[in-house]
Amino acid sequence: MKKRMTTLILSGILSLAMLAGCGNAQDGGSTSGQGSAGSSPQEAAGSADSQETAGTGASEGSETLTVWCWDPAYNINALKIAESIYQKDHPDFRLEIIETNGEEINTKMATATTSGVFDVLPDILLFDDSGFQSSVTSYPEVFADLTDYGFNYEEFSPGKVGFSTVDGRHYGIPFDSGTAIACYRKDILEQAGYTIADFTDITWNEWMEKAKVVLEKTGCPLLNGLSSYNQMTIMMQSAGGSFFDKDGNPNLVDNEILREVVEVYTEMVKEGVYTEETGWDTYIGGMNTGRIAGAMNGCWIMASLQAAEEQSGLWEITNLPKLDGIASATNYASQGGSSWAVTSQCSNPQLAVDFFKATFGGSMELYEQILETGAISTWIPAADSPKYEEPVAFFNNQPVFSLITTYSASVPECYVGVYFRNARSDVANAITNIIYSGGDIDSELQAAQDTLIFEMENK
Amino acid sequence: MSRNKKLLRRLPKNIVLMVISLFCVFPLFWVVVAATNKSVDVLRGTLIPGTNLAENWKTLVSTYNIWPALTNSVKYSVVTTFVSLVVSSIAGYGFEVYHDRGKDSVFKVLMLTMMVPFTATMIPLYQMYAGMHLLDTTVGFILPEVSAVFLIMLFRQNSRAFPKEIIEAARIDGESELGIFFKMYVPTMKPTYAAGMTITFMNAWNNFMWAKLIMSNDATQTFPMLISNMTAGHYTDYGELMLAVLISTLPTVIVFFALQKSFVQGMTGAVKG
Amino acid sequence: MNKLSVKKRQSLIGWVFLAPAAFLLVVLKFVPLVQAFFMSLRTGRGSSMEWTGFSNYARMFRDPNFIQTIKTTLLYMVVTVPVMIILGIILAVLLNDSKLRLKGIYRTCIFLPAAVSLVASAVIFRSLFATDGFVNVVLLKLGILETGYNFLGHPGSARVILMVMRIWRWVGYQMIFFLAGLQNIDDSLYEAATIDGAGRLQSFWKITLPLLKPMILFTTIMCLNSALQVYDESVNLTGGGPGYSTMALAHYIYNTSFVNVPNFGYSCAMSMMILIFVAVMTFVQMKVGDRRE
Repeated sequence: MKKRMTTLILSGILSLAMLAGCGNAQDGGSTSGQGSAGSSPQEAAGSADSQETAGTGASEGSETLTVWCWDPAYNINALKIAESIYQKDHPDFRLEIIETNGEEINTKMATATTSGVFDVLPDILLFDDSGFQSSVTSYPEVFADLTDYGFNYEEFSPGKVGFSTVDGRHYGIPFDSGTAIACYRKDILEQAGYTIADFTDITWNEWMEKAKVVLEKTGCPLLNGLSSYNQMTIMMQSAGGSFFDKDGNPNLVDNEILREVVEVYTEMVKEGVYTEETGWDTYIGGMNTGRIAGAMNGCWIMASLQAAEEQSGLWEITNLPKLDGIASATNYASQGGSSWAVTSQCSNPQLAVDFFKATFGGSMELYEQILETGAISTWIPAADSPKYEEPVAFFNNQPVFSLITTYSASVPECYVGVYFRNARSDVANAITNIIYSGGDIDSELQAAQDTLIFEMENK
Repeated sequence: MSRNKKLLRRLPKNIVLMVISLFCVFPLFWVVVAATNKSVDVLRGTLIPGTNLAENWKTLVSTYNIWPALTNSVKYSVVTTFVSLVVSSIAGYGFEVYHDRGKDSVFKVLMLTMMVPFTATMIPLYQMYAGMHLLDTTVGFILPEVSAVFLIMLFRQNSRAFPKEIIEAARIDGESELGIFFKMYVPTMKPTYAAGMTITFMNAWNNFMWAKLIMSNDATQTFPMLISNMTAGHYTDYGELMLAVLISTLPTVIVFFALQKSFVQGMTGAVKG
Repeated sequence: MNKLSVKKRQSLIGWVFLAPAAFLLVVLKFVPLVQAFFMSLRTGRGSSMEWTGFSNYARMFRDPNFIQTIKTTLLYMVVTVPVMIILGIILAVLLNDSKLRLKGIYRTCIFLPAAVSLVASAVIFRSLFATDGFVNVVLLKLGILETGYNFLGHPGSARVILMVMRIWRWVGYQMIFFLAGLQNIDDSLYEAATIDGAGRLQSFWKITLPLLKPMILFTTIMCLNSALQVYDESVNLTGGGPGYSTMALAHYIYNTSFVNVPNFGYSCAMSMMILIFVAVMTFVQMKVGDRRE
């Protein structure tokens, strides 16, 4: 009797083990030695170098690279085109693209680092620019130092390259432009007696007056956004502002740029010309359904706008308003572009860099093809393509791509900082308190700064 | 009391229940409507079923690899449900039928695991998994769910209703202990199994955090993960998204429909102090 | 075989029966929990962590975000748990009527939300309560509002909607437990009460409630437990915003490990706080429940 029971339990365990076997489809053989926990970026760089010598001449080993990134219509599409371009000269080259959203990438990177298990990581990851430096600093073991692999960084705009540079070392390959644009519904502006020219090269005070008129006459708020996050960042950046001083210390209280941004932003919300949304769906929905008369974000927002086909010809783009009374204020900023990273797990970083050099860092064809999805190059030579001069029907035949390229040149450089996301949440919280609980700006910013200092002391 | 009067007396009750039912079902109705409409119309808040279902289906299938995700979800959920019912019901039976002071205290200690927040054990668990090469595997998915205190409790309580005389009689007939369990206990406890099945299946199907952590490629990802990717793009097609949501809701609804009678019955006696 | 050995043998078989389940729980819950506790005694960024004793626990009380999120979580708990339980009982009593014709349909309808995935529920509720969403359209037509109200943009109303969504999703689930509990109550008890001249309300207070008590105790513990661990609603519906106003503690813990600059030791310490909260509450519940016996 006992025997039968043991057999049963054993067979149970066995069947479990079999299940383990058949489900054991780990991702491609691209992984190599585990990064050791606690190594500094320099050490990671060192190991990357040694791997380079081992793996030069991509003939040895596999020519398949695994990539984690998101958005089939945009990033994945670009990557697939790049793959086919590179395959012309390297027929054995293959990309294995695994759709993984940004939040998941973050979670998995954190899990890998905290648990010291790195072999789950792919060869290449996509990162949002605003989180890049923070990730490199927090998870140095994940990133390969790409500085010495001969990528042509000088052919990219310095502001863009800056997002993925830490202590003068390069950890990223620049991808799409996040140059911020202001888009407005031509027809709605007309109802209020305005044209796009009335919103070009203006200041936020002027914008506010006109936005109130638009709201009064048409009932449409001019802008909406996901809470204050993106809007605040764009406004800060347009004046070269940062939440931190040059040494990386929190700088929220005596920060005249931030103060101006908070004042303008709270007024926008209180006046009803800016609607705070809580989800991407209602944010985009606001524009697509005509509830909101404009949009202000990175130029990739054009892809979202164009989903509303019947609004073709009704949109026009221009530059941003600039902050009043700030010496460094400009009409230009950047928001939400992204860059590629090669991980320390990549057995052949040279292959990865060569691939990027031939495509994202050197292929006119690639950039021309992805233009239709709204992905605009940060590789400077791409702007010379005749495609960039073409008028776009959706945007009332404006040559939007060349417009955006000219804006890009004027985007001020900014210090993002490792604790950028913490700072952004804390300021957003301060803004919420000012708007909804009647908090005053001084004490709320002070409270936000105290919180940020507290978060950074980390003890 | 006449028939009409009786009906009339139930009227307020019916109205209350109807209103609440409508409130509960309305959002689901909305999903169905959205799945048949174009994205823009969904965002406009239309409440009329549209004609775009086929189109949404086409884009969904062409943009996303839905079949592997769907089969994975089915596989993980079915295996989880099956294994966890076996393991937990044997344990629940063991706790009750052979109970003594030692086993009762062990049970109390195990009850504590219901209170452990997942965020706390996530990283250590992940480390353990990586060490045992369980990432990206079915076993990896099911293991944390296999032994559920809630199920053990359900079976432990319901075992009280299982007559001891049957066990004694079977023992005299020379039936093995395991034989008694499988041949007598399991068939009589069908409703309890139905209840356990519904709950476990629903939890496994909607399990998101853990799947997200341990599954890392198209071949192993689950359907909820696919849905979450659909909202990560620069533009989300709501007709397509809601169709996916509808598809993801169907299995749990079907399971509940199929088992609902026994479900309620099986919960009966789950908790009797 | 003598009698003692038979008994011993059966006890042993009992242990064997529960061994796999117990083993798995120990390995997959207790061991990681202990590891998490040790992690909570360390601090640092990402992978570079050092031992700092109980500093993470002291840190919590100085952390304004922790205090705010725990307040929000307690608010969710205090409001939603009683509503879910009371509404669940009422619905179950209404449905526990053998002569009610559409019983099965009502039961299914009320239970259905529990089958909807969270991503879906969040998308649905967001669009229903959007500035131009269904709810605003209705309120405008009825003349209650003059312009669309941004329900999820205001901290107060956003919290309310989050709680409504939570109740919507879980009330049917609770109802099933109570329905099951009600079926255990013998009809003859009610008949006897009616003969004694007790009204419906009276028999509800005197018979139904006392007999449902174990079930109420059980569901309350489950609800409290899940209310303290609210995560999905906070992430999916509002993203915690505006500001930190709707963020639940578990969401903040998640952000501390994965979204902001990671501080895993600290988030483990906060998880331990949840554990302590749940344990204390369960303990109190059990004691209170016992005493009235």
